[in-house]
Amino acid sequence: MLVERLSPLKKGMADMKCNNAVAYIHDYLDGELSREQVKELRSHLTECAACQGHLEALERTDALVRAMPAASAPAHMTESIMKSLPKSRRPAAWTSWVRRHPAASAAAMFLVVMLSSFVTMWNQDQELSIAGPDLEHVVVEGNKVIVPAGQTFSGDLTVSNGVAQVLGDVDGNLTVIDGSVNLASTAHIAGKVQTIDRAVDWMWYKVSSWFGKLAYGS
Amino acid sequence: METRLARLARKGDQRAFAEIVDLYKDKLFHLAYRMTNNRQEAEDVVQETFLRVYKNLDRYDENQKFSTWIYRIATNLCIDRLRKRRAVYSLDAESSEHEGLDGYAMLPSDDRTPESELLLSETQRLIHEAIETLPVKYKSVMVLRYLQDLSLQEISEVLEMPVTTVKTRVHRGREFLRKKLEHRI
Repeated sequence: MLVERLSPLKKGMADMKCNNAVAYIHDYLDGELSREQVKELRSHLTECAACQGHLEALERTDALVRAMPAASAPAHMTESIMKSLPKSRRPAAWTSWVRRHPAASAAAMFLVVMLSSFVTMWNQDQELSIAGPDLEHVVVEGNKVIVPAGQTFSGDLTVSNGVAQVLGDVDGNLTVIDGSVNLASTAHIAGKVQTIDRAVDWMWYKVSSWFGKLAYGS
Repeated sequence: METRLARLARKGDQRAFAEIVDLYKDKLFHLAYRMTNNRQEAEDVVQETFLRVYKNLDRYDENQKFSTWIYRIATNLCIDRLRKRRAVYSLDAESSEHEGLDGYAMLPSDDRTPESELLLSETQRLIHEAIETLPVKYKSVMVLRYLQDLSLQEISEVLEMPVTTVKTRVHRGREFLRKKLEHRI
């Protein structure tokens, strides 16, 4: 017994114990026994009818279970599965995109917030307003902003929600948002004349003037 | 190939997903039917498996075999059902009279036996019964090993347990079946 515990392999195969043999039998059925171990097991089986019987019984069990006919899914299965699927995978795809691109998502979110605030501001801003450095030189009549003949408006003039009627000179750019421009033959505008009608244009104007301010600090 | 199909399906290609369903529906049905021993439940499990696969395609890790992933989902659904069933039956006082078998051994009757199974031999009926009475932890291993022909390594990946545990369960499961069948066949 002591000898066997020290070196069962060297001692020889005949002395394999039955409980070892059963473990070997299972490994054999799993296809996990080395050639050497198969030899060892074989020599035990030639001498032990009980283990031989055990192996045969397990082999029969294996064969019976493996030979069981496969059940197949009902014919309508594929169709009913395809019908049961949620209509669109888009929401899931969208959230996973957000998960994978946190920076781009934050930027997109920022744009959405900016855009919506611009739109709200644009919608609220329905009253006539005038902006420029030299407002003493203009006359307001109703929704008309008039630069009278002979007057010189020095600087950029911006009119929102109204009509800009220029009879005199504007020494800068004239910008009209959501309104129109009337230029008299006597009018003289040193810079550009710009009319902005839509929210998008207006936003672009805001953004570019904001960047202009950033760039020139004016 | 399944990985390619999964990639297409992830992009919203319905045809690719239908191909996945065609490839796996019978295998999964066979698995679920042998696990639950009930055709209706097996159908439910297959349906639920594909729904989960569809919803979680984004989480499918392509370093893993697609079959491992889908078998894991289906096996876990079966195990959940068997556990729930056992919980229901154990509340039933009568179940203790059934000679120490787990409660779920008392199969809920399954009248929808298809014609092919009416031809079952007595031998096959005994094998079904033997598998049916396996405790859940052996049953899942044996079904994957013998009916789906997975290797021990693959089973260990599906069930997320060490290969040595899988091996022990195959050995015990095999002995269990042998004892059930030995003197009757």
